Amino acid sequence: MTPAKKHIMHYSYFPGCSLHASGREYDISTRALFKALRLGLQEVPDWFCCGATPAHNVDELLSLSLCAKNLSLAEEVEGDLAVACAACFSRLKTTQHHLKKDDVKRKQVETAIDGPAALGKPVKHILEILARDFGLKRLEESVKKPLMGLKVACYYGCLLTRPPEVPDLDDCEDPSIMEDILRALGAEPVKWSHRMECCGANFTLSRPGVVLKLSNAILESAQAAGAECIMVACPLCHGNLDIRQGGIKAKYGQPEATLMGNIFGSENQGSSDAEPRGETPIFYVTQLAALAMGVPSDKLGLESIIIDPRPLLKEKNLL
Amino acid sequence: MHLSNETMNVGFVKKVEALSGTSVRRCFQCGKCSAGCPMSGFMEHPPNRVVRLLQLGQWERVLAGRSIWYCASCETCSTRCPNKVNLASIMDALRKLSWDADGPSKESYVQLANRLFIENIRTYGRQYELRLGAAFNMKSGQFLKDLMLGPKLLSRGKLKMFHSKNKNLPEIEAIFSRIEEMRKKGEAL
Repeated sequence: MTPAKKHIMHYSYFPGCSLHASGREYDISTRALFKALRLGLQEVPDWFCCGATPAHNVDELLSLSLCAKNLSLAEEVEGDLAVACAACFSRLKTTQHHLKKDDVKRKQVETAIDGPAALGKPVKHILEILARDFGLKRLEESVKKPLMGLKVACYYGCLLTRPPEVPDLDDCEDPSIMEDILRALGAEPVKWSHRMECCGANFTLSRPGVVLKLSNAILESAQAAGAECIMVACPLCHGNLDIRQGGIKAKYGQPEATLMGNIFGSENQGSSDAEPRGETPIFYVTQLAALAMGVPSDKLGLESIIIDPRPLLKEKNLL
Repeated sequence: MHLSNETMNVGFVKKVEALSGTSVRRCFQCGKCSAGCPMSGFMEHPPNRVVRLLQLGQWERVLAGRSIWYCASCETCSTRCPNKVNLASIMDALRKLSWDADGPSKESYVQLANRLFIENIRTYGRQYELRLGAAFNMKSGQFLKDLMLGPKLLSRGKLKMFHSKNKNLPEIEAIFSRIEEMRKKGEAL
């Protein structure tokens, strides 16, 4: 088995609900990137929702049980568990962490799932797989189209690094894993202030006003630092910064919000004489990485992003 | 004021501590949690005061308020606490206790969203975002909320018209039922 070996590493894959819906381009680009890097990726069959924030918010036992069952489903597929969504990643790792150290909770969960809790499989975020398993050096050597001149703000959000004892991904206050990956791809990370601030997460359904305020601060900070785009590794962060960007602009980016904007709570019915604020495309890390690996641009799900990133990529001669 | 087990309502505090696996009593009110909290501007009691109220036995004020429902679970407080109080877990515990008491809280939208999200898991296995958004709008009476986003999301394939099938639905239902059963028997909080 020498040169014919198809994959250099193999992973089981937990995409999570968002990646099959509003974050579909994250799923598309993750699969394309893994293929380009010759990393095997096999989806866990019939996985279900990890419970995300709403479950642990009101019912920790339910959250732990849903995750524990998913972890045992993952045992059926070979390889460490690759997770793209920061929320799924956080919940699955938190479950492993809690159940390993708390026998009472573990027994309750085992009753709930009617079987032993499988806690042994390493759960890894895509960032970790790229930077550590595959390795930054090898990543840099694999680049076919360096992202020269692209100024990017790396946005971590909450759950990739917090709380410090759980994710084990990077420093909880001053991480660098995204910047390291970005440099390997040939792009230029900017220094900015809001890398770790919350975007408003799942308030997007219940209290979108919260999201508009918090995500506006993030967009402003990235723009002020000279970023041309933002790179994220979480479908919730992406939704809030991309899907809600029109609403943010309507509320904060113009002298005053219009009546229509107020009624519909979003969109861009601003008065025509107002000075518009620039738009900031939001990329998933896997989209930029796959682009740099020479994956054709129509295989990256770029058309699914609301704030169209293609003009920026054309301007940089990357399309 | 003299602090005793009675004035502190230690029974409630112990319940919070059992659920959260952290100590309410360790907090020495440095305020670092509130300083870093992205949501404290939306709360009537900032995070450190939530803990102080618990220490003083005034948990009813906490459960009746909206602070616990405006916590984003960003974990900044737990990360920065110099005395290792896991405040994010305390917030989870308080929401559960408020939820179980059928929420005397003023904040209903966040509770509604949570309820629909969890219902979605039980019914479909995975999140069915179209149903989530539509049900939220109907039940909260905000019929026009985010209406203009719908076509944009649909045209980009970000909103699915139909939910996906899942073979594990009976297993998911069993998990929900077993947890209900354990609680009925008093085997879990």
